[in-house]
Amino acid sequence: MVSDSINNAQIASAPNSRDFSKKKRTNRSAKLKQCKLDVRREQWLSQGAVKNKGYKEDQKDARKERDRSLENSRQRDGHNNDGSMHHESDSESPSNSPTNSLLCGDSGNNSGTNFIGSSSSSSSVSGSSSGGCCSGSITEEEEDDGCLDDWEAVADALAADDDNNKPELEHDNSCSQSPSESQLSVQSDASRELENGLGLDSAKSMPEGVGMLPGVSGNNTRAWRPDDVFRPQTLPNLAKQRSFPATDRHFGQRGVPWACNNVLPVPSSCPICYEDLDFTDSSFLPCLCGFRLCLFCHKRILEEDGRCPGCRKPYEHDQVESEGSVQGGSLTFRLARSCSMIARS
Amino acid sequence: MIDFGRVQKELQECSKDIEASGIKINPVSDNLVHLTGTIPGPIGTPYEGGTFHIDITLPDGYPFEPPKMHFVTKVWHPNISSQSGAICLDILKDQWSPALTLKTALLSVQALLSAPEPDDPQDAVVAQQYLRDYQTFVGTARYWTETFAKASSLGVEEKVQKLVEMGFPDSLVKSTLEAVGGDENMALEKLLSS
Repeated sequence: MVSDSINNAQIASAPNSRDFSKKKRTNRSAKLKQCKLDVRREQWLSQGAVKNKGYKEDQKDARKERDRSLENSRQRDGHNNDGSMHHESDSESPSNSPTNSLLCGDSGNNSGTNFIGSSSSSSSVSGSSSGGCCSGSITEEEEDDGCLDDWEAVADALAADDDNNKPELEHDNSCSQSPSESQLSVQSDASRELENGLGLDSAKSMPEGVGMLPGVSGNNTRAWRPDDVFRPQTLPNLAKQRSFPATDRHFGQRGVPWACNNVLPVPSSCPICYEDLDFTDSSFLPCLCGFRLCLFCHKRILEEDGRCPGCRKPYEHDQVESEGSVQGGSLTFRLARSCSMIARS
Repeated sequence: MIDFGRVQKELQECSKDIEASGIKINPVSDNLVHLTGTIPGPIGTPYEGGTFHIDITLPDGYPFEPPKMHFVTKVWHPNISSQSGAICLDILKDQWSPALTLKTALLSVQALLSAPEPDDPQDAVVAQQYLRDYQTFVGTARYWTETFAKASSLGVEEKVQKLVEMGFPDSLVKSTLEAVGGDENMALEKLLSS
């Protein structure tokens, strides 16, 4: 179960991540989120149904609720929070529930945040950003999005505390990896931990105060090492983490379409002659409509009306030439033609 | 040179879903140049209930050139010659694509039966009737379907017997009947013309 192990991850990373609770104050995206939260709080207050009682209890319960909701699907998340809101604060008028459903996914976090009020903005920030993490880690797809979203913020936070971390990171890197690689990986892990840790800071470390100084005591402040025993299994492995920038570059290259992004699935055989497509044929895409065919049939069509069998539009010659595989095609075709001549004579 | 490998595979593919499409393709000669296709008349049209035989001849350039098709069964349709069975259909002419197959072409012919194009006629008489007196057109088309496209109630043996009695050799009668899909009238026409 992914969600279970994420919970574990949060618990396990709790002591290690206290120092990060300070960094989050410099967190840009967190500030953005705070702005959003303020707007939401105004919406909330405009309902005029919020009571000022029992904030603390509500806050704690909301967090518990959030943890529990991790184990549920995201859709049910909102419902649970709705239920909890009614349960915890039965004095609230029913007019609150529309607001809750408005806030939907992260209403649990928001409720906590809203009750705290503006006095403890840091905890509300952590609540909100961990909310992003929580909702992101439910499904694989969203997890990626969440990571990409938080990546910048994490990078900022890490840069701010670079001086604190660097010696330790380099100390870590005395293992077999090359410094640049492992530093990247450790940073990635640290970022991951930061995300996880933020969720917990609000729940556990906040009541004790932020008295813990960051980067003081060796192991606790360090990021997970790849071979760390306590490293949660849910943390993405290094290969996956490192693949983020690479993915970005890949997306960039997709500016040249059709070359790597197939419009149609590559058929196993040529739809014209029904012969199997070899590697050259399958990488040959002569028409923008995505209709594939083998080089023999393409050459044959060019000799006649030169229209794509898929869309009946004439083949564009420069397009074809830029494909680069035409040369090979004509070469093989010449061979085939000579063969057929021999056979005929 | 015809791509016989492709034709062979097309025939296999077509025989796979013969129940779903109702479209049959059978070779007439051994060399797969000459075939005969069978399509059921579309439901909800005057052609419903009929079985239409289409003669298919593959040109040398197939599949880069369209197959030559014409109706063997007589049909009353604006885009099909009531005399020769010639079909006026763009995909059998300039709109042919090598990506099409015999089966998809026959499907298009079947679609043509349910959607006549009287503005681009093959048979001007039928098209005129279609445009001016639709009810009469429907009646005629239905009558032609009943007369020419319904399988004869006679069994194959009886048909052979009948044709042999007319003086045709037994083996030729059998092969001709087979070629036209068991249609007695078509077989007779073919025997007389050969």
